[in-house]
Amino acid sequence: MKVFATGVKVARGEVHILKDMCKGCHFCVTYCPMDVLDISTEFNTKGYHFPIVKNQDDCINCGLCGMICPDFAIWTTLKEQKEVVEL
Amino acid sequence: MLENVEKSHPADCFLYTDSVPSVWCPGCGIGTVINTFIQAVEKSSFSSDKVCVVSGIGCTGKVAEYLKFNSFNRIDGNLIEYAAKLKLQNSDRKLVVFSNNADFLVSGAKDLVETGKKGIELLIIHVNNIIYTITEYKAIPTTPFMRASADKNLELPFNIPHLAKECGATYVARWTPLRAGWLMYSMIDTLSKRGFSVIEVISPCLMYYPDSKRIGDAAELMKFYDDNSVIKHDEPTEDLDIRVHDKIILGKFVDKK
Repeated sequence: MKVFATGVKVARGEVHILKDMCKGCHFCVTYCPMDVLDISTEFNTKGYHFPIVKNQDDCINCGLCGMICPDFAIWTTLKEQKEVVEL
Repeated sequence: MLENVEKSHPADCFLYTDSVPSVWCPGCGIGTVINTFIQAVEKSSFSSDKVCVVSGIGCTGKVAEYLKFNSFNRIDGNLIEYAAKLKLQNSDRKLVVFSNNADFLVSGAKDLVETGKKGIELLIIHVNNIIYTITEYKAIPTTPFMRASADKNLELPFNIPHLAKECGATYVARWTPLRAGWLMYSMIDTLSKRGFSVIEVISPCLMYYPDSKRIGDAAELMKFYDDNSVIKHDEPTEDLDIRVHDKIILGKFVDKK
């Protein structure tokens, strides 16, 4: 597929997770638009399955996971503005 | 463990971190409302000293215990009246009331009408979970027709945006917690607005089905509310009551200058 607008920069983010704060509602895993997160097979100290990062490179720093988390356990920060070469 | 201790959430400066994670069920909408409110205060021009949070009883009454603003907890019945008196004494503060159905409608309806008619500058964030959770899932004035587990509700539900508009509110909006971006921009609008403003948040209660006790299905419940709601701005407030077979109408309905 050809790229028509050259020089477009897409944000890349980094996901931070506090695994002991998580209460296992899995909103972040369900509603991540780029499918970055996954449910872990381990338990945290409260006995819930916390989210883990599946593919870090796909995160676009939209911040939805940090916005809808009820327990302040996940957030994203901007890592770099990556230039799109080919879609 | 050690790497977790070093990290801290960006919103931690607004929270009593000893009491987080909260006592609410996993995936309760009140947590999302608090998270959105903190981001709205961060993004608006308000300094956090100028914000006062007042909350009442029940699940929503615990909001004041977690937020590091000037916060007050008040008994059932005269929550809005108390907030209005605080506002009259501290005219430079922004008063934010987190209310549930008991504070807002059942025992606080008289205060709501009086305060709205006087046009006192308040922001009421009304978390509506359409059921009494703690007292055995009884029906309340906002429960939809024939939808309560303990006793079948035979009355039509109350239309809160219409009531708020008739009481003289200058800003009325209704969102679900999953529309967090919309909710955040509504809060930013109302934090700088002078006047009586009401934001209704229709939040799913995870104990809505007490027979099956399905606490783990928070994402599924939230998806049900998301699928069965539609955004229609400036809809006439007469049509906004929650009907069983229709979609819930969300949006911003009143915005007076």
